[in-house]
Amino acid sequence: MNLGMRQVASVRTDDESFEALFTAEYARVAGIANRVLADPHEAEDVAQEVFIDFHRLHSASAQYAPAWLHRAAAHAALNRLRGARRRQKRELAQGADEGAQTLDPQKQVEVNEDRRRVRQALARMAPKPASVLVLRASGLSYAEVAQALGVGIGQVGTLLRRAETALRKEVTRGTSL
Amino acid sequence: MAHLSDGTLRRMVDDPDVHNGVNDARHFESCPACQARFKSVAEDAQSITSLMAAPELKVDVASAFNRVQAAPAARPKFGFRLPVLRPGSRPMMLAFAAAVATVALLATALASGDNIFTPSTVTPVPVSLADMQALSQLSAYGDVSWTTQPNLQIVTSAAEAQTISGLKPPTVNNLPSTVSTTVTYAAMPKAEAVFTFSKDKAAAAAAQAGKTLPALPAGMDGAKLTVTVGPAVAEIFGNMKPPAAGSDVTQLSLPQLVVAESSAPVASSTQVTMMQLEDYLLAQPGISAELKAAIKAIGDPSTTLPIPVPVEFATSSKVTVQSKYDGVALGDNTGVGAGVIWINHSVVYGVVGSVKLSDAIKIANDLT
Repeated sequence: MNLGMRQVASVRTDDESFEALFTAEYARVAGIANRVLADPHEAEDVAQEVFIDFHRLHSASAQYAPAWLHRAAAHAALNRLRGARRRQKRELAQGADEGAQTLDPQKQVEVNEDRRRVRQALARMAPKPASVLVLRASGLSYAEVAQALGVGIGQVGTLLRRAETALRKEVTRGTSL
Repeated sequence: MAHLSDGTLRRMVDDPDVHNGVNDARHFESCPACQARFKSVAEDAQSITSLMAAPELKVDVASAFNRVQAAPAARPKFGFRLPVLRPGSRPMMLAFAAAVATVALLATALASGDNIFTPSTVTPVPVSLADMQALSQLSAYGDVSWTTQPNLQIVTSAAEAQTISGLKPPTVNNLPSTVSTTVTYAAMPKAEAVFTFSKDKAAAAAAQAGKTLPALPAGMDGAKLTVTVGPAVAEIFGNMKPPAAGSDVTQLSLPQLVVAESSAPVASSTQVTMMQLEDYLLAQPGISAELKAAIKAIGDPSTTLPIPVPVEFATSSKVTVQSKYDGVALGDNTGVGAGVIWINHSVVYGVVGSVKLSDAIKIANDLT
């Protein structure tokens, strides 16, 4: 498969547009899901589901495609984070993963504990503030975050600040429980 | 001048040159309070960045693409999903609004075996955006024209909206505190569309597919389907840009809540029944899978109005509004998006927005 060649075609079929969109956005969409789930394998599952959903319902050449994908990735991953069964499964998988890490064992335990607390906190937050944190932390620009969430670019700073305060509060709450 | 907002300070952390204007910059440089707040905002941002760290992700795009290509494109089994509309897709929004109107029109028309049909209840139908866009392909089988063009206008007062539509905008008695009290009105007088089946066009479409036209039922050539939609009026809550003279709906930002009221669409046909028209359209050899899906999805023979509502990831359920009207509830209690739609005496009502479903139901129940 030559992804690069397909992109230079001046008139694309929808399938070709989808392939170009996939090539351009897959890493970022998976990155957003990974930011939520802290689990690369599950993040790729989510990213692929998001693309399948998109392809089924939308034209790949739609102007809103990247924004739709970013938002859907954040929402789908947050939904997954909230699913109790999935969470247990993921924690088991992470436990198994720990043995393979080369980090100092004590340090790895701390990292895992931090990740767990932050993900629990994200799962408790409302979708919009959780999404704004995740999208920004995934490297989206303010303009891209605004597009994905359907808000004005001027609101992003305010949303982000509020979301950071809320996350901090939730993490503290989780620690003191 | 006033101190800088938290939002501006937060944005300055990522982009120090983002001051809204020279005044902001001058203020910041001379205000120890803002500088102290900035420091605290910046420290918070930094600690959140480290909290949000995630394990490294290495992707193999080509093999991921193959997996996605190999996945069966199953449709959702329950409920339906439609995209929320983004500001970036405002031209799309118009196309979408037109498509929704068309679906509603054809749905009411095709859902009936009689020649005149007015729906009395509503039901959700899994119609995708792609399916709806495919409806434009109907023009390959006949002529679609508006005898009265839909003319949606944005106004700032309930009185103007009532003058345009002839409908009194409903009163919301229970606005959630999260929704802005700023209201804009949209109003539309009655509009009428006619689809005239053309034997010649259908034959050309069939020939393009390398087939001949199926046997033509008596009266099919020139059969007309007339559909009336509206009048309609909507209250749009949210901090919208103030409408300029002659403004159109594409200039509006996304609303937080829309409360809409519209006369139920009325459809009638000449020469053949609507069911005959639907059956014959479905039997066309060149008809695309999408158009077929759209017609089939909306062709359920009942007295219901199928509602394709653009709410992201919405699931649907039946709900009773004001203790007596059967309605459809969409969305959930996360506040991302929810809506309630019902029919009362040939008038379709809808409450849709970025609110919890429980709030949407409360608004619907208390609407007067």
